[in-house]
Order: sequence, then C-alpha cells, then structure tokens
Amino acid sequence: MELLLASGIGVLTAVAVYLLLRARTFEVVLGLTLLSYAVNLFLFAMGRVAVDRYPILRDGLAPTLANHSDPLPQALVLTAIVIGFAMTAVLIVIALRSDAEFGDDSADAGRADEDAR
Amino acid sequence: MEDPASPAVSLAWIVALPFIAAAILFTLPNYARNLAAGVAGAFTLLALGLLLAFTPDVFAGLVPAVAWPWLPLAGADLGFRADGLAFMFAGLVLGIGALVVLYARYYLSSADPMARFFAFFMLFMGAMLGIVLADNLILLVIFWELTSLSSFLLIGYWQHRSDARQGARMALVITGTGGLALLAGVLLIGQTVGSYKLDVVLQSATVLQSSSVYLPALLLVLAGAFTKSAQVPFHFWLPQAMAAPTPVSAYLHSATMVKAGIFLIARLHPTLAGTDPWFYIVTSVGLATLVVGAYIAVFQHDLKGLLAYSTISHLGLITLLFGLDTRLASIAAVFHILNHATFKASLFMAAGIIDHESGSRDMRALNGLWKYMPITAVLAIVASAAMAGVPLLNGFLSKEMFFAETIGLDSFGVFSVLVPVLATVAAGFSVAYSMRFIHDVFWNGEPIGLPRKPHDPPFWMLVPVGVLAGLCLFVGLFPAVAIGPLLEVAAASVIGGELPYYSLKIWHGFNLPLIMSVLALALGAAFYLSLQRLFRLHDHVHIVYGGRQIFDSILRALLNGSRAVIRWLATGRLHRSMALIVAVTITVAVAPWLTPRAANAASLTLAINVPPLLATVLWAVGLAATLGLLWLHRDRFTAVLLLGGIGLIVSITFALLSAPDLALTQLLVEIASVVLLMLALNYLPARADPLPANASRRWRDGLLAAAAGICVTVAVAVVLTGPSVSAVAPWLLANSVPGAAGTNAVNVIIVDFRALDTLGEIAVLGIAALIIVGVLQDYRPRRSSISAEKLAAAGQGFSLMLSMTSRALVPAAAVVAIWFFLRGHNLPGGGFIAGLVLALGLLLPYLARGTSWVEERQRINYEAWIGWGLFIAGLTGVVSLALGYPFLTSTYLTPEVPIIGKIPIASALFFDIGVFATVTGAVTLALTRLGRVNVGPR
Amino acid sequence: MALGLMDQLAILPVMVPLLVGALLVALGTRHVRLAAALSMVSILGLLACSIALALATADGSVIPYQLGNWPAPFGISLAVDRLSSAMLVVTLLVALACQLAAGDSLAQRSRGFHGLLQFQIAGLCGAFLTTDLFNLFVFFEVLLIASYALLLQGSGRDGVRASVHYIAINLLGSSLFLFAVGLLYGVVGTLNMADLAVRIPQLAPQDVALAHSAGLVLLIVFAIKSALLPLGLWLPGTYAAATAPVAALFAIMTKVGVYSILRVYPLVFGAEAGVLSGIGAPWMLVAALGTIALAACGALAARNLRTLNCWLIAGSAGTLVAVGAVGDAASLGAAVFYLPHTTFAAAAMFLTADLIARARGSALSDRISVAAPMPHAAVLGTSFFIAAAVIAGLPPASGFIAKAVLLTSVATAPSATAIWLFVLAASLAAIIALSRAGSVLFWKPMAVEPDPEAPRPAPPAASAHGTVAALVLMLGAGIAYVVFAAPLQRYAMQAGAQIATPERYVQAVLTTAPVERTK
Repeated sequence: MELLLASGIGVLTAVAVYLLLRARTFEVVLGLTLLSYAVNLFLFAMGRVAVDRYPILRDGLAPTLANHSDPLPQALVLTAIVIGFAMTAVLIVIALRSDAEFGDDSADAGRADEDAR
Repeated sequence: MEDPASPAVSLAWIVALPFIAAAILFTLPNYARNLAAGVAGAFTLLALGLLLAFTPDVFAGLVPAVAWPWLPLAGADLGFRADGLAFMFAGLVLGIGALVVLYARYYLSSADPMARFFAFFMLFMGAMLGIVLADNLILLVIFWELTSLSSFLLIGYWQHRSDARQGARMALVITGTGGLALLAGVLLIGQTVGSYKLDVVLQSATVLQSSSVYLPALLLVLAGAFTKSAQVPFHFWLPQAMAAPTPVSAYLHSATMVKAGIFLIARLHPTLAGTDPWFYIVTSVGLATLVVGAYIAVFQHDLKGLLAYSTISHLGLITLLFGLDTRLASIAAVFHILNHATFKASLFMAAGIIDHESGSRDMRALNGLWKYMPITAVLAIVASAAMAGVPLLNGFLSKEMFFAETIGLDSFGVFSVLVPVLATVAAGFSVAYSMRFIHDVFWNGEPIGLPRKPHDPPFWMLVPVGVLAGLCLFVGLFPAVAIGPLLEVAAASVIGGELPYYSLKIWHGFNLPLIMSVLALALGAAFYLSLQRLFRLHDHVHIVYGGRQIFDSILRALLNGSRAVIRWLATGRLHRSMALIVAVTITVAVAPWLTPRAANAASLTLAINVPPLLATVLWAVGLAATLGLLWLHRDRFTAVLLLGGIGLIVSITFALLSAPDLALTQLLVEIASVVLLMLALNYLPARADPLPANASRRWRDGLLAAAAGICVTVAVAVVLTGPSVSAVAPWLLANSVPGAAGTNAVNVIIVDFRALDTLGEIAVLGIAALIIVGVLQDYRPRRSSISAEKLAAAGQGFSLMLSMTSRALVPAAAVVAIWFFLRGHNLPGGGFIAGLVLALGLLLPYLARGTSWVEERQRINYEAWIGWGLFIAGLTGVVSLALGYPFLTSTYLTPEVPIIGKIPIASALFFDIGVFATVTGAVTLALTRLGRVNVGPR
Repeated sequence: MALGLMDQLAILPVMVPLLVGALLVALGTRHVRLAAALSMVSILGLLACSIALALATADGSVIPYQLGNWPAPFGISLAVDRLSSAMLVVTLLVALACQLAAGDSLAQRSRGFHGLLQFQIAGLCGAFLTTDLFNLFVFFEVLLIASYALLLQGSGRDGVRASVHYIAINLLGSSLFLFAVGLLYGVVGTLNMADLAVRIPQLAPQDVALAHSAGLVLLIVFAIKSALLPLGLWLPGTYAAATAPVAALFAIMTKVGVYSILRVYPLVFGAEAGVLSGIGAPWMLVAALGTIALAACGALAARNLRTLNCWLIAGSAGTLVAVGAVGDAASLGAAVFYLPHTTFAAAAMFLTADLIARARGSALSDRISVAAPMPHAAVLGTSFFIAAAVIAGLPPASGFIAKAVLLTSVATAPSATAIWLFVLAASLAAIIALSRAGSVLFWKPMAVEPDPEAPRPAPPAASAHGTVAALVLMLGAGIAYVVFAAPLQRYAMQAGAQIATPERYVQAVLTTAPVERTK
C-alpha cells in the first residue's frame, strides 16, 4: 500500500518534471498540472494514510487519529487544489495571448530580440 | 559632546557655508554672472574669516572641536576639529579658493553657465573643508567621496566635449575605487581601535600596529590616498582631468583635491607610520611617482599637460618625504605642500591666461609671447622658478630640506644611494620642464598660427596670479617670518610630540643639499637645451603606453565580459531556469543524506502488506495513463484526456483513502480543468511539432525527472513507515464538534480553524478570474480549430441533445449545489464543492448554445459575485471584532427548524456562503470567457 | 476580557485591504474616482496603523494575534515584532508611492487597478505577519496573483512575454513550497513556526535528515522569491516589463523572500535547533555572493535603465542574504537596516527611469543610447544623480551609511573578507554602470546636434505630477534615512537581536490564551 502510493507519486513527479522542461507553454502547463496532482497526494500522504477510517466524526466514536484520518492535510490539499487550478488557468490564458502576440506557442516566444532591448 | 554654544561651533559653519552657497547658486539663473561669482566669493571669504578667528587658539596649540551625535557607529559623530594640520589645509582650501573664484569669474566665457559652475565649485570646496576638518574617519570618508562626486561634475563641466566626459568618468572611477578601499580600511581601523574619532585613532598607533589587520588596513588606506593624489600607477587620471576648465585644474588638481590624498597620509601618519611596510611602500611609490612624473612632464607639448605631470611628480616628492618617516622629513613635506600649492596654482592660472588670450595651449605654437603679455610672463617666470627650486624662492627651501633628508638612508641597502641620486635627477627634470615652460612660451621665436593676437588679460585676472607669485617670493625670502609659526603647528600635529630643531634659512652654508641643488639646476638646463637643440623636441611626440590604456582596456574587458556572462546565463529561456531550479532543489534535498549519520538514522522498513486489489489496479491504470501522457504529450487532445484520466484516478485514490471531500473537490476541479484545457486547445496547434531540442537536452531532462521522482518516492516511503507525529490533528478532531459544531473536521478547518487560508485562497481564485477576463478582453487568436460554421453545426448538434436538458440541468445543478452546501459543515461538501457544482451546471447552456446565446438571455455579473462573495466572507470575520474577539471568530446556535429538526448553524455558514459565491462566480466567469472566444477570430 | 482596539491593530493590515479590495471588485470598474479615494484612505490608514505597531513593538514586545480565537498552534496565529512592523511600514510607503504614481495614467488606463493594489498589500502584509508556514504559502499566492494582474496592466506585449516565465517559475516554486511544508508537517507534526522552533530540537534521529531536506527545499522557495542565483534569472525580464508604478511596488517583492529567510531560519533552524541549527547558512552564502557577482555583470551589461535597476535590485537581495547568512544579531540587524533603504532607492530609480522614458518618447524610452537632449534634462538629471548616488552607496546618501553599517557588522564573521570584497566590488560596478548611463543619457546629448528632421520627443501626454510626488516620497525616505540614521539603526539592531534570540517571540505566539467566551 505505502509502496504503491510512494511510487505512484514518484512517477507523477518524474513525468511532470519532464514535461515542465519542454519548450512549449502548453506542455509546461500539462507538467504543472501533473505536478499539482503529485503535490496534493504528497501533502495528503504526510498525514499518513489508511483505507478504513471514518471521514466524519460521529457519536460513540472517539474523535482520535485511531478512528479518523488526519483532517489537517486534507484541508491543506483542498486549498492547494483550488489555488493550483486558479494559477494554471491564468497561465494557460497567458499562453494563448502570448501565442497570438508573438505568433509562436513556445514559452520563450518573443524573447529572441531581448538582447537588443 | 562639546557645548554647541562654544565658539568652536563656527567650525561647523566653515564647512556649512560653501554648501549653503551651492544651494543658493543652484537656484540662480545662469546669466547672473557677477551675482554668482559674488555669492561664491562672499561665502568663501566669510568662511575664511571664521577660520582665521581660530588662529590664536590653534597657534597656542589648542584643538578647538565641536560634535553632535549622528551616525550609529562608534564615534562617528557630526563633528569637526581644527588642529594645526587641519587649520593649514583649511586655510589653503579657502585662501586659494577665494583667488580661484575671482579668476574664474573672468576666465569663463559668457556661454558657460556660470551659476552652475560656482554651485559645483562650492560643493567641492565644502566637501574639501569637510575632509580636513572632520573629527572622525567616517565623516572624513563621506566628504572624501563627496569630493570625488563634485570633481566628477566639475571635470565634466563642458559636457559637450567627449574628453571632458571621459576624463570625468575616469577620475570618478579611479578615485571612487580608492574611496571604497579607503572605506574598507577605515572600517578596519575603527573596528580595531574601537572608535572612529580622530582623537582616539591618533593615540592608538600601538594597538593598531600590533594587530593583524594593520597591514590590510594600511594597504587599503594607502590605496585611497594614492588614487586620490595620482601616485604611480594610478597617476593617469590626472592628465585626463585637464579637460576641466583651468580654474578647476588650478584648484582641484594643484592645490586641493589631489592634496587630499597627501592630507590623509599626513593625517594618519601618527597612527600608521613608523613601520617597515609604511616605509617601503610609501617611499618607493613616492620615489617612482617623483621621477616618472618629472620625466614625462618634459615631453608634454600641452601647457596643462606639462603642469599636470609636474604636479604628479611633486605629489610624489611629498609622499616620498612622508615615507622617509623622519621628523624633519615630515616638516619638509608639510612645507612643500604649502609651497607647491602656491606656485602650481599660479602657474595653472598663468597657463589659463595664456590659453584664454592666445587661444592655444600648445607650446609648439606658443612662442615669443614675452612682448605680447609681459606682466603674465614675469609672474609665470617667478612661479616656475619656484617650481624649479631656484634660490630665493619658496620651492628652493623645501627642496633643500628634501635633499637633506634623502642623504644617509641605509634602509634600501646598497640601493640607498639611489634615493639622493634619483632625487637629484628628478629635480633636474623639473628644472628642465620649468625652463621649457618659460623658454618655449615666452621666447623661442614667433608665435605660429595662433587664433588671435595675444595680449595681457584684464587686471582682475592677473591679481590672483600676482598674489600667489608674490607669496612664492615672500616665503622664499623671509621663510621664518612668513611661514614659520604655521609650519610649526601643522608639522606638530603630523609628527605628534615636540618638533626637532630645524631652521628656515636660505643659507645653510656649503653642504651636500646645496651641491645637489646646483647639480640639478645645471643638469636640468643642459638636459632641456640638448633636447631642444639636438632632438628637436617639438617634433618629438612622446606617447607613453601607460595606465590610461590599461584602464580603458580593463573597462572594456569588464563590459564585454559582463555581456558574455549575461548572454550565457540569463538566456531568457524558460527551460533553462526550470532545469536549474529542479537541479538545485534535488541537490539540496539529497545533500543531507550524504552524511553517514543521516544514512544510518534513516530507516526504511516498509510493512510489505499485500495491498488491496482495487488499489493495485488503480495504481497500474494510473501508471499506464501517466506513461501514456509522457509518450503522447505532443498529441494535445489525447494528452488532455489522459490528464483528465489521471486526475480521476487521483480523486478515486482520495476516496479510497477515506477522504471524500478531497475526492469530490478533485473530481470537480478536474472537470473544470479539462474543459479549460479543451477550450484553450481551440486556439493552439493540435499537435506540438517538436522544436529542435537536441538529444543531450532530452537526456538532461530525463535524468532530472528520474532523480526528482526517486527523491519524492523515498521521502513518501520513509514518512509513511513512521506513525503520525501530528501535534495538531488530535486537538482538531477533539474540538471540531464541541468547538465549532461541525462533524466534518475537514470542512470545519477550512471555514473556522484555518479560515484565513480559505479567505486568501478564494481571493486568489477571484483575482485569477479577473486576470483571465482582462487578458482575453482584446484577444484575437491566430487560429481556431473550430470555425464559426463548424461551431454553429456543433451548436445545432448540441442543442438537440442539450437544449432541453441544459435548461433543466441548471436548476438541478443549483439544487445539488445547495444540498452539498448545507450538509458541508457536517458531511462531505461545503462552499467550494457547492460552488464548483453550480459553476459547472451554469456552464452547460454555454456549451449547448454558445456564449452569445446565453448572454442574450441571462445577464449575470459574475465579477460582482466574486467581489461580494469575498466581501461577505471577510465581513463575517469582522463581526467578531465588534464583540471583542479576534478576526474570523465563529459562533453558532442550534435553532429548531420545522421538518429538518435541530440543526446547528455556525456563523461560519455565512463565511461559507461567501466562499460559495466567489467560487461560482470565478469558475463560471473564467470558463465562459474562454468559451466566448469560440466564435473564432473577430 | 475582550480585545481592545490596540489588540486588534495586528489584523488590520491584512483585513482592511482584503475587504477594500473585495468591495472595489464588487463595485465594478465604473467608479474609478471612488476606487482611488478608498484605496488612498486604506493605504494612509494602514501606514498609520503600521507605524503604531512599530512604536508598540519598539520596546521588544511581541504582539500575538490568534485568529478565530483558537489557541496556537491549532489555529493560525499572526505576530508582530520589530522586524514585521518595519516590513509593514516599508511596504505601505512603497504602496503609497505606487498609488501616487498610478494616479498619472495607469489607474485610468486600466480599471480595477486599485482593487488589485489592495490585494497586493494584503498579500504582502499577511506574509510579513503570519507565523504559520502554510498560511505564508497562501499569502505568497495572494501577492503573486495580484502581482501577475498588476504586471499585465498597461504593459502590453512586454507584460505578456514576461509573465509567461514569471508565472510558470512561481508555480514551480509554489509546488516546491508545498513539498517542503508537507514534509515538515509529516516529520515534525506542526505548521506553526514557533511550534516548529520548539519541536525541531526534539526530533527523533531518523527524522532529522528528512527535516533537513525539507528545510533546504524551503530555502530554495525563498531563494526563488528573492531572485538568488541561479534561481533568479526571471527577475530582470519581469520587473523591466512592468509599468513604473508597478515596478516601484515590485521593489518590495524580492524583499518578501529575503524577509522569509530572515524570519524562518533564525527562528526554526537557529541556535537552539541542535543538529539542524544553521543548516541554511552555507547555501545562502554561496548563492548570495554569486548573485552579487552576477548582478554586477548584469548592471554593467544592461542596455536600458530599468534593466540596470533590476539587476541592482537582485544584487541588493544578494547582499541582504549574504549578511543574513552570517546570522548573528549584529548582521541580522544590519540586514534589517539595509533592507528599507535599498527598497526605496530601487523604487526611486524605477520612477526616474519612467520620467526619463516619457521625456524621450516611446521610441527611445529609457534605452542607454545617445540622442538629442530630452526636455527637463536638468531636473531629471539631478533626480537621476541623487537616486544613482543612493543606489551606488555614495555619500552622503543613505546607501553609504547602510553599507558602512553592513560591513562593520559582519566584520568579525569568518566570511567577512568575502562579503566585503563582493559588496565593495559590486558598488564599484554600480558606480561604473550608473556613471556610464548618466553620462550617455544626460551629457552626450549636449554634443548631439538635434537634426530638424528628427521628430522632437512629444511632451508626455499624461501629467507626471503623481510620479514626481512618488519620486519625492521615495527620495525623501532616503534622506530621512540619513538624518535619523542613529535611531533607525538602533531599532534595526534591536530587531536583529530579537530575530537572533526568538524565545520571546515563541513564548508570545504559543502561550497567549484565546479570549474566553462570554456565552
């Protein structure tokens, strides 16, 4: 179980990093999205994982880590998911704009002339 | 701190007055020539008067001082003190300053902005006075750098001339560098002796010289002094600075600024001198400068060039004297400072007059001016005779003392005899160039092609020269009377302690120094005449490949080097930056594990329990999808679908690991992202044709990716082997119900325990939507894979399926949303999830009918949703402030609601409403705006 | 006992701009005047508030603030000490300059500017106040998203070009931040920095290495934000693209990274942290010195004034981190003393560059190249000269004093020689670069014969009053720095001592009980 999760997150990270280093913004966006999955799972895993816990507190069940999974990392992941979505959305739209401005969907569009500036 | 009411306060005024004058002059119009000169002169004389008022005190051996606490460094007050040396220099600065002001008034042409000139001039004068009167080293350095700045402005005064600009920048860079070195040295000294106050520093010779920082401090301070006073090998900036107007040269480059370096050596003499390093460094640099300067001077054709190199040589002489480090040598040095200031300033002014009245400074053109400008000639002859060290003039006296000191050294071993010899030779050169100055300019045939017919200048232009030349003569004839007392007090504060016996007499009887003088005169004359006759000096253009070329090439190299570095590193390529970041991160993450301690400690004992089948399948599918994405990422539609699949698996993983809220949110966000990316793909190439990325880069990226993956895997595995160490979770679980009336701990954390995070997060989401709106406002895509008609067709197709359903689905979505929302606090759900559900519901009609269709029918201002949502969420937090609780403090009540029964309503519910509104508004806005562009290029 | 107004001061710099920003978004873009007024009121009020906080914490007291009235470390706590309040004051002064300068054109040209400015302020202040690592992450995101929006406003293609890199790199940075925070929570079990400071020393031996890695990855995140080598190559392109008011505001942005370093490492990995104490220092020093060197090259190579200034900003961040790496009370104090001055100077130079660009017309803009004399050359030249002197650290400008204090305070450190060498060499490079730029921009034109064909640079369309006012404010702040050097430096040194010995800070954050409820 732990190994599956660990290796899964590892693979996600690896592929994400590879895509991050591509030259075109869209691939970079794919990479960043994939990386956010990895990060979210990672954050979640830091609260330790178990398959048989009750997510919701209920009467007659002591509100302890023995019965429930750690809620804090989950809350953090919720925040992280939304922030990641927002940032990715902005980046992809900027990428569209940059493609239209410079007629090139590479992440370095319009930078050839930078030395001249 | 002294009583500010004490008369010594006027010391501060002496320094302040020139700055005040400068401030006034900046406001004057440039045509107010006489007014400008008047202001400058008046303030200078006023300051001089204040200074002279201290004469009795200073001559009585007192040290008037005043200080106000200022800088937070030990002893770095805003304080001034006037001991003999400071008094002498201040007198020099102000006296010659006054004369130069008078001279400059007539020298500058009506085209030159005179007010600005005098403004800079007074700025410099104030800085110079600050240097000599400062009562601590920090203040001294401050004014030191100020002289660099103001001389930069003065040298560059004729901005339209490139030589002026270059000269100014070179002077600034060289003296600025020296200033930095000096700062470092001064800081070292202050650190070691515990204070920057001169009174302390001057008493701390033993402390400093016994400490390890003595040598670095000495080198740094000397670097400052040598650059400022143009010592070899830093001498080259001075001739370049001759591009300045002649009054500036007369003032800065003979009497004052270049003397600042000398002053520093004299000032710190008691603290730094008396060691071998001091002796060898200062003496040899001084000697080299003396000889080199004098030699080059002979071959200059430009009057000011000759004077510049002669100045360098004389500065070398003074430095050498301080280096010799005997009491008499120091006296001689102080004496020569005064003498050189007088004759060199007058010579510069004379040169300026000649330039001014004849239109040339080239000694090959200037000949036989004797009959045109006799008065100037007489004055110039007196001054240059003093420079040559002819008896009965002041230059002779100090040179005699100098010779006397060079004899009988033994520190240089067998080479010691070289010192007097070289001294004599240099003296010979100075005789030669002095003769050349006189003979070439005033005799030696007729002027050659001068722009205008030369004549003596207006009376007031001659006065300053006359005064100074007169001084040369007066001091030369009656040294004891003229200069004795001043010299005594000045020298006393350099030597510290009682003065040895010395006599200011013209005639010391036949002795070695006298013979050396005679020898020098004879040699010099012979040398000049032979050059003149045999080598036809005038055709001989003497080019020294010296510091200037080196300096220029260094600067050029620096510039090109920098450009190269920047081109190489800051390529502006994203993948470069990203790769660097990843690589560095991996490095620092791995580094801690390389120590044996860590390696032993970190235990990786995984409980190899057989994972549930579902988990294994999930893992396999996820792996396949991820690798597929890696393989097919160029085919973008496939890539997005695969990405969606992976997201789905992630959310199932959350569900499997008993985190339903995460599962729901992940799922909904997933849908939103896929829609987003799909919409974006309308305007991007469906396939990414590979850029020419070479194989080596793929390898680099592959390795980085693998390393990153391994790091993360190890980290997760190691953490998961241990039990939870959370110090927070138990409390959160225990207090969720009693503290915040919520059985869904995760939601309680979001809306209550850590509500501030959520507030910030929805702010981010909202702003993101606004950015998207802004960016898409006047966006014209290059291409759109869905053409207008295809879209219409699609629209038809959609409408068949969806037009009915979508209208119905919106309310349905709303209901589901509200349901999720209400149960959120106690069961999986809450503001986010509800918001996302509603947003996706609202999106359906857009997909079905296209944005325009929808917006004709429903006008929803989603920006307002975002704004008000944020505002409501914030406001619920503010309420608690009124009740005296911190921001975002929640409360709850449990009312009896018909049908549903008792439900606890936390105030956090209203917070969640804000979240709900913002999320709905933001997501809908973002997606629909991206959808609107659907109609293709407008 | 309910909280009084003084107790509530700490939250205002976060709460007020968030609410004002939200309100401005809600009101929409129709009421630019109202928006400007509200924004200005908020900024001035917050400036007063943060000065009050600075005075309140001057005696060394730490003002904790338990959000939601939950006890630390379970909720989120803010805390104000000397460092935080100093950062607040600097932030709001720069924000005020930005608001003034924006009055000229930006605010009209791009609606919604003021709301974004408010969110930017909220993000900055939150980052300077929070004691919670994850909350710090959230505020980083807030100030980043606001900065994206501001960067894109009115900056045209340059803005688009720059923001692709800026956003992508910061997204990667955010992911790294989450990795680090998650890992720390996983092995230490808390997010509250004060609590971390307590628990790090008690780590089980097998967790030490993990915590160490987490600590260093966190450092990478902050280094990206402070544009340290080799992670900061994004800075020049980005800041140079922004419009002047925004660029002026960005002068504080790299300082967020520097602040985080100064806050987190002495506190969490400080002297008490056992085997993990001072883990950041060696990496910081190397990166910082490298940054100083690279920035010097960049300044020399720069082809326009804004880029030049950007590199100088990177260099100042490097200087700050290099000093911070020394890590004793005196050095940290020197860093605190140096930080505001360099921020004001950078802002002033951006504003000057803008005025120059306007005077020369869009064709030439602020490029360092010879052209016919610009209008108002004398005034612009003077302002450039002053700003340059401040940045290059030439007396009597604040730069010199800051530099002197900085050098003296590190003098006893083992790395002193290196730091002295790099800092002094860098200021020499600054002198060379700036004197060259000034000579080209203001002196060479005197030699140029303005040819009649060449179109005279049209007088700037928008009025420059706001920009000038902002410039005066920033230069004035620099002058005030010289005049009040002693008290300011005393405050900074005490701040340094407070950072270096955080017991009181930890105490205040962890042991302040919530207000008991009166039900």
